[in-house]
Amino acid sequence: MMATHEVALGHHAREQAGVGSGVWSWITTVDHKRIGILYGVSAFVFFLVGGIEALIMRMQLARPDSHVVGADTFNALFTMHGTTMVFLAIMPFSAAFLNYMVPLMIGARDVAFPRLNALSYWIFLAGAIFLNASFFVGAPPNAGWFGYANLTTKQFSPGANTDFWLLSLQVLGASSVLAGVNFIVTILNLRAPGMTLMRMPVFVWMALVVQFLIVLAFPPITVGLIFLMFDRFFGTHFYDVTAGADLLLWQHLFWIFGHPEVYILILPAFGIVSEVLPTFARKPLFGAPVVIYSGVLIGFFGFGVWSHHMFAVGMGPVADAAFSIVTMLIAIPTGVKIFNWLATLWGGAIRPTTALHFAVGLIAMFTIGGLSGVMHASPPVDLQQTDTYFVVAHFHYVLIGGSLFGLFAGAYYWWPKITGRLLNERLGRVQFWILLIGFNATFFPQHYLGAIGMPRRIYTYPAGMGWDFWNLVSTIGAFGIALSVFLFAVNAIWSLRAGAMASADPWDGRTLEWRTSSPPPVHNFDDIPLVLGRDTYWREKYGRRAASASTEGGSGGRGGGAAGAQTEAYFAAGRPPTSPPAAAHAIHLPAPSYWPIIAAIGIGVAAAGALLHVAIVIAGALVTVVSLFAFALEHHRNPAHVHQDGTLGIDHRKVAMWTFLGSECMFFGTLIATYLAYRGRSVVGPHPHEILNIPVTSASTFDLLMSSLLMVLALAAVQRGDRGQARLWLFGTALFGLIFLGFQAYEFTSFIHEGLTLRTNLFGSTFFVLTGFHGAHVSLGVAWLVTLLVLDLRGRLGRADAVKVEIAGLYWHFVDIVWIAIFTLVYLIP
Amino acid sequence: MTEIPAVSEPHSDAGHASVATYVKVALILTGVTALEIGVISIRFLTPIVVPLLLAMSAAKFALVVLFFMHLRYDSRVLSGLFIGPLVIAMVIVLALMSLIGAFVTFGR
Repeated sequence: MMATHEVALGHHAREQAGVGSGVWSWITTVDHKRIGILYGVSAFVFFLVGGIEALIMRMQLARPDSHVVGADTFNALFTMHGTTMVFLAIMPFSAAFLNYMVPLMIGARDVAFPRLNALSYWIFLAGAIFLNASFFVGAPPNAGWFGYANLTTKQFSPGANTDFWLLSLQVLGASSVLAGVNFIVTILNLRAPGMTLMRMPVFVWMALVVQFLIVLAFPPITVGLIFLMFDRFFGTHFYDVTAGADLLLWQHLFWIFGHPEVYILILPAFGIVSEVLPTFARKPLFGAPVVIYSGVLIGFFGFGVWSHHMFAVGMGPVADAAFSIVTMLIAIPTGVKIFNWLATLWGGAIRPTTALHFAVGLIAMFTIGGLSGVMHASPPVDLQQTDTYFVVAHFHYVLIGGSLFGLFAGAYYWWPKITGRLLNERLGRVQFWILLIGFNATFFPQHYLGAIGMPRRIYTYPAGMGWDFWNLVSTIGAFGIALSVFLFAVNAIWSLRAGAMASADPWDGRTLEWRTSSPPPVHNFDDIPLVLGRDTYWREKYGRRAASASTEGGSGGRGGGAAGAQTEAYFAAGRPPTSPPAAAHAIHLPAPSYWPIIAAIGIGVAAAGALLHVAIVIAGALVTVVSLFAFALEHHRNPAHVHQDGTLGIDHRKVAMWTFLGSECMFFGTLIATYLAYRGRSVVGPHPHEILNIPVTSASTFDLLMSSLLMVLALAAVQRGDRGQARLWLFGTALFGLIFLGFQAYEFTSFIHEGLTLRTNLFGSTFFVLTGFHGAHVSLGVAWLVTLLVLDLRGRLGRADAVKVEIAGLYWHFVDIVWIAIFTLVYLIP
Repeated sequence: MTEIPAVSEPHSDAGHASVATYVKVALILTGVTALEIGVISIRFLTPIVVPLLLAMSAAKFALVVLFFMHLRYDSRVLSGLFIGPLVIAMVIVLALMSLIGAFVTFGR
C-alpha cells in the first residue's frame, strides 16, 4: 500500500488523482511518471545552459590571445558549467529515468512516498533557479565547481558569488537526500510479488546503489558547506589557517562526496546499458549477478578513493599508497562490467537501433576514460597530470563518454514508453555519429594538450606554445556536440508531433515496464504482475526455456518462493502471471498536493534571504515550517495510511527513518571528526579544559538518557492503547528535551560570558557548530513530540498510529546516542 | 473520492522488550555514565582512561540502539541500513582525522 492519500480508480479516476492536463495538475502532481518528466525537461534545459557555457569557453580558447570573454567571466563560466552539468543536468537526467522507470520495473504503482518525491523535485528546481539567478544579479559563482578553500573565503571571494554557490548546493543536497531515502524504501519495500533482490533488473540495482551513495556522500559535503557558510556569514575559522585550521579539510570533505558523486553520475548509465544490450542482442545479460556485485563493489570502493584527487597536496607516502591501491582496485569491478557487456553482445541477434549505438558507444568511450583514470591512480603520474587538460579529457570521457552516452541510450530506449511515440531512428543514428565524432574531436586532443603542459582553467594563452591547433580542433568538436544535441531536440519535437505511435512493447523488451501500455496508465498496471525472474516479461512472453538460467535470480526470500510457485501455476493454466485481479475500486492513487511546492518556495526564499535580509530568511523559514507541518498532517486521518507495510514486511516510514539515520551518522561523524581533528589547534584560548563544565553536562546527559526511557514508555503505552500513560510519557519526553535545551542555553551563555564565541578560536567554532547542530536536532525532536502530544490531546493518536510514535522515537533515540558520543569525545576525554 | 478500507488492527509488538527491561537498561545507562565521570578523576587509570571511556560510551550507544531503538528485535534489514553507514562513517572519521594530522601514524 502506498504512503499516500488514496483515490479510487473509477470513471473519473484521472481527474480525482489530479491527472488533468493543466498547469495546476503538473504543479500539484505526485505521480512518479510526471515527476520523472519534470526532472527530464528541467535537466534538458539546464543541460543546454551548461552547454552554452561550454561553447563560450571553447570559443575563447579556440585561438591564442582571444578576447571573447575576460578572465572573470571565464572563471564564472567554468564554475557554472561544472556545477550545472553535475548537479542540474546529469544527476536530474538520471533522476528522470529513476522516477519514471523504477516503479514500473519493480511492478509498483508509485514510489513509497509520492508527495516527498514531489517535494524533492521542487526543492531541486528551487536550488537550480537560485543558482542561476546569480547571473541576473551579476554575481555568478566563480571559484570553481570544487570551491577550494581558501579561494572561497571572504578575503578572496568578497562578493555574493560564492554565497549563491554554497547556498544552492545545500538546497540541492537536501533534495537529493530526500529522493535517495524515498527510492531506497521504494526499491526495498515496493517490489512486486516474486521480485527478490536478485530478480531486480540491473538498472534498479544500480539505482539502489546510487541512492545509498547519495544518502551517505552528501552529508560530508553538506558539513563542508555549513563550515564555509559559517566562515563567510558568522566569522568562524574552519578554513582560516591563521587560526590553526587546515585548508585541506575542505578538499577532504569535498572529495569524500566528490568521488562517490562520480559513481552517482555513472552508475545509472551503466544500469541503462545493462537493460539496452540484452534487449537488442536478444540475450540475457551475461553474468548478470556479477554485474550487480560489481556495481555494489564500485559503490563501496567509491568511499575509499577520495584522496586520489589530492595526490598533489603532499599527503605522505602511506596515504598516497593506500589511496593508490584502492583506486587501482576499483578498476576491477569496472572492467568486469565492460567484459560482461561485450559478452552479452557476443553471439547475440543484434538489432542495431539508436539506443544500442549509444550503449556500445558508452562501452568504448568509457573504457578510454577508465584507462586514463587508472593512470591517475599512480601518484607520480598523477603529479604530472594534475591541473592539466589531461584531467579535463579524462573526466569528460567518463561523464560524456559514460554518463551522457548512457543517458541518450536510455532516452532512445524509453522514449516510446514515456511518450507513446517513436523517435526517428535514422536521425537518431546521425545524431549518434555526430556526437561520437564531435566528442572525440573535442576531448581526445585535450589528452595531448595536457601532456604538453596546458593547464586547466586558464582563460587564454599566448601563441607559440604549440597549443593553437588542437585547441581549434577541440572547439570545432564542441560545436559538433552542440549540433548533435540540437538534432536530438529536433527529433524529440518531431516525434511528439508526428512520430509513429509506439506499441506497449516496441523493442520486444524483457522487463516489466514493457508489460503496460505506452505511455502507462496513471495506475501503471491493471493488475500487479507476479515476477518469474530477472527478465520476467521475456519469460512471460516466450516461456521458461527462452530465459536463461542466469536470469532466474534465485527463488528465495520473502515473496519469492510462494509467489514463484503461484506464477508457475498461472503459466501451467495458460494465464498471464499477475496478482489476483483487483476490483476497480481497490486501485488507489496518490492524491495531488500543493504543499511540496509551497515548502520548496519557502526554502528558496530563505536561501535568497541569506543574501538580502534576515527578515526574509525568517519569512522563508516560516513558510517552510508551516507547509511542512501541513504536508505531514495532510493525510493524518486517512485510514488508508495506517499500515504501509511492504515487501520486507516493514512499514515504509520505519525503513525510511533508519535509512535517514544512516545518513545522519555520516553528518554527525563528519562534524565530530572535524572537532577531533582540530582539537588542540587553537592558537588562542580559551581551551576546552579551561572552560568545559563536566558536572553541568553530566546532569544534562543524564536528563537526555532518561528522556529516551520516557520515549520508549510512551511508545509502549500507545501500542497498548493506554492514552493516559501515552500522554504522560510523551509530555515527559518533550519536557526532558526542553530541560536539555535549557542546559545547553545555560552552557552557551556562560561560555560567551567567559569569552568563548563562534569567532574566538578554532575550538569555539568547532564546539558551537557541533553542539549547536545537535541542539537543533533536539529542538526538532521536541517539536515533533509536541505535535504528537497535541494530536493525542485531540484524540487523534490511537493504537493504529503507534508507528508514528515509533519513528519519532527512533529519531529521538538517535539524538540521544549522538550525545553519548559527544559527551565522551568532547567533554570527558582529556 | 470513494470508500476507504477499514483500519486493520495494529501489528503485534510482542517482539519488543518489556517495560521492566527498559527500566533496567536506563539504570545501566545511568550507572555507566556515573562510572565514566568517576574514571576521569581516578589518577591510576589515567594511562587507560581513553580506551575505558570509549568502551563505556560504545556500550551505552549499543544499549540504546539495541533496546530503546528495538534493533535487537527488528528486521536485520534495518540493522544493515544503520550499521553499514555507521561503520563507513567511523572509518571515514578515522581516516579524516589521520589525514588532517590528528594521529601521528599518517602524519604528513
